[in-house]
Amino acid sequence: MMRLENVLSPTPAKIIKTEKMTDIERLINLEFLDKNFAKEFIYKPGQFVEVSVMGVGEAPISICAARTNPDILQLCVRKVGRVTNAIHNRKEGDLLWIRGPYGNGFPMETIERSHLLLVGGGLGIAPLRGVLQYALQNREKYGEITVFYGIRCYNMMLFRDEFLHLFREGDKQNVKFYLSYEAPDDKECYELACERSDRCTQGVVTKLFEKTEVSPKNTYAIICGPPIMYKFVVRELIKREFRPEQIYMTLERRMKCGIGKCGHCILGNGTSIKYVCKDGPVFTYLDALNTKGMI
Amino acid sequence: MEKPRIGIFSLTGCGGDQLMILNLEDELLDLLSHFDIKSFQEASSYEETTTELDIAFVEGSVSTKTDLERLKEIRNRCKLLIALGDCAIDGCVQAMRNQQMTIAEKMRKVYGVEEDYYDVLEPKGLAAHVKVDIKIPGCPIEKTEVLHAIISLLHGDMPEAIDYPVCVECKLNEYPCVIIEKDMPCLGPITTAGCDARCPGLGLDCIGCRGPIKDEANAAEELNLLSEKGFDFEYIANRLRFFGGNFEEIVKLTGSLKKKIGEGGQTDE
Amino acid sequence: MIYVKLPRENFTAFFESLKNYGKVYGPVKISESYGFKEVSNVAQLSLEYPRTMIPPKKFFVKPKERIFEFDEEKMEYRETVENTEIVIFGIHPCDINAIKLIDRVYINEMPDKYYQKRRENALLIGVSCHPDEYCFCKSTGTSYATDGFDLFLHEINDGYLVRVATEKGHKVITQNKHLIREVEARDMEDFKENERKRLTEFKLELNISGLQDMLELSHDRAIWREYADKCFGCGTCNLVCPTCRCYDVVDCVNLDLKTGERKRKWDSCMLRKHGLVAGGLNFRPTRVERLRNRFNCKGSLREDMMNCVGCGRCTVYCPADIRYVEVLQKVRGEIK
Repeated sequence: MMRLENVLSPTPAKIIKTEKMTDIERLINLEFLDKNFAKEFIYKPGQFVEVSVMGVGEAPISICAARTNPDILQLCVRKVGRVTNAIHNRKEGDLLWIRGPYGNGFPMETIERSHLLLVGGGLGIAPLRGVLQYALQNREKYGEITVFYGIRCYNMMLFRDEFLHLFREGDKQNVKFYLSYEAPDDKECYELACERSDRCTQGVVTKLFEKTEVSPKNTYAIICGPPIMYKFVVRELIKREFRPEQIYMTLERRMKCGIGKCGHCILGNGTSIKYVCKDGPVFTYLDALNTKGMI
Repeated sequence: MEKPRIGIFSLTGCGGDQLMILNLEDELLDLLSHFDIKSFQEASSYEETTTELDIAFVEGSVSTKTDLERLKEIRNRCKLLIALGDCAIDGCVQAMRNQQMTIAEKMRKVYGVEEDYYDVLEPKGLAAHVKVDIKIPGCPIEKTEVLHAIISLLHGDMPEAIDYPVCVECKLNEYPCVIIEKDMPCLGPITTAGCDARCPGLGLDCIGCRGPIKDEANAAEELNLLSEKGFDFEYIANRLRFFGGNFEEIVKLTGSLKKKIGEGGQTDE
Repeated sequence: MIYVKLPRENFTAFFESLKNYGKVYGPVKISESYGFKEVSNVAQLSLEYPRTMIPPKKFFVKPKERIFEFDEEKMEYRETVENTEIVIFGIHPCDINAIKLIDRVYINEMPDKYYQKRRENALLIGVSCHPDEYCFCKSTGTSYATDGFDLFLHEINDGYLVRVATEKGHKVITQNKHLIREVEARDMEDFKENERKRLTEFKLELNISGLQDMLELSHDRAIWREYADKCFGCGTCNLVCPTCRCYDVVDCVNLDLKTGERKRKWDSCMLRKHGLVAGGLNFRPTRVERLRNRFNCKGSLREDMMNCVGCGRCTVYCPADIRYVEVLQKVRGEIK
């Protein structure tokens, strides 16, 4: 069944578990039918796959976990369009078709021996979860890990058990987990803010910069969130004297083919044209300065 | 699994869109076997008038108060409403003179009386009155497009709307451009594709029968283009209004033209 | 390079022989334009053509094609890679250079099997040309094809000087050696003179020095709004462009709701959906961003090659009469 030589051929994977995380997001756990393929399916945090529902189409979905054994591919899928709708309607035992992994992913080696500041907004936390898991699996290679997670409200919080555990117990693993929530009258979040006023605040994610001293010293910042968020987070980081190359971000675009051919994810200007799917989706802020329209 | 209940209805229009569904001769029986048909005026006199529907297909524009009542009643008993054809989407040819003359004027011009026998409303598409879930353009609709839309729905998916112009299909088919080569008043650049550029493929200019592309069509440039080719403003305005009488940009454009023409006769800039 | 001569009196016989290598396509007059169509005899050819509306990229990046068929119930799909040998006769240097550029995208990295197969199955025969008032390939450095073809026919006084660039091309020459002569000194002089003369025939010029930076420094200029008001956003410029290669993918299900196919077709960055992601966010929401993106993409370099080969198609076929060179001259500040 495998035809590796055709980059447009997807490989079937069975949904072994599909969990509702919020009203619009599900965590899809997949297992490739072909075990040999699964073995060779090596991916890095920040990479994505093209997920097909036959007869509906393909959509790029970022992998939201570090590679684990037994090999389960985890995708956090928000229901926003035709394909993701169809993915939501699929049940355990159904098939999805996968191509990938694509994109450059986060440079986990480059950022070794450094502190990490992960800033995620909404669904943007999904690829960052891969980074976090990877860093925790290789805990000795990374310094202090700080997570800023901005959500709209408690009900929209992804990976709730996992993150609440880190929020409360993260310090044991040298992880400082901060939470911001936008809905002013959110009861559950308010309780979290009462529980740890030093770690939780009402407002947008950049408000968390007021909660702790963020130092650029030997630190990499990694950002992922809705497009509007980048400028504001970058502004805070630059204010704190982060150099542009210390700031990584992963971008969303229409990555239809994933392999730099179909052209939809193009951005940039005469001197610097980028295909997000192939040159990214992870870029540094220096790339953004070089490439107009990136953020 | 229970079959989806559907109804196919007509308001003001020629009935051509229902006919196009019937024209799906090769697939028709297979297609209809997927459904429990509660109303399909052109195919059967059988009708259930109060049953809840999963999908209602409505062709024709809302041009009378009777249309409007009918539409509201249909909307109330269906889950998904599909506007079938240009009339149902934006009024089509019935809307050609909208905002150019009053209903009374139209009555006088057409019937020679001012009395409104028919409870006429200014012709509009369904969406001007109720929520429309899917629009399938065309005058008439393309039978393959409606077939694919229905298949998509059966497959649990929403059909994807086409929002690019006819020019794209001309190029994909390598049809010579009748604007560039023959100076014909083709409306292809502003008209919703999906017809596979049938007319230009036959050497004819597009008359815009699938309607202007919403929020995209550059009608002002079409006017420019055609006037540069030597067509007079009235001709162009009529051509643009033929299928685009309710299209905002065309209304504005032809409104200002009318003023222009009224002020100084034929303007030739 | 191997050079041979095809005497004019042998041209027809040579052309006929090409049928041994596959279906032969060549430039044919259609209405007022030209297109590459299957040709069965020399009389159908229009070798004096200025340009075809649709470039020969159509043989490799197909306007519409099926990628695979699927059967959801049986959990299988079937690739539909075709395997037909073709000969494309009479390609101009700009189009050969454009194909070279697309090769870099479709073959050099993550090869596209469909494209690669079709490239391998094609014999490319170039033919020399003369510029018309829309050609500016001299400016983009693509007026001459140094490689990227199997054979290239340069018209000389009494026939053609033929450049033989590949093994495949060489095979054609060897198998037709009864039609081929050695190149003589006079032919070489003819070739040089024609090439010299050809370069003086260009009427349209675009200075591309520093163009990439100038485009970037014009990012916020009113010029894009000015042209966006004129532009239909119809996508013609992309679809007739020999280097544009964006495609869109659509799935189609059959009435049995189990089987279907995945297809792809040419797309255009001037169309609304090009930059639209699920959820409704459009990264190039208006024609201003789309037009600017298109000009930046065309003006950018792929390795050392500009993404425009100066064929003039986008200008000739633009219904809004937007002139590519004029836009860039405005970007450069050469005209107001």
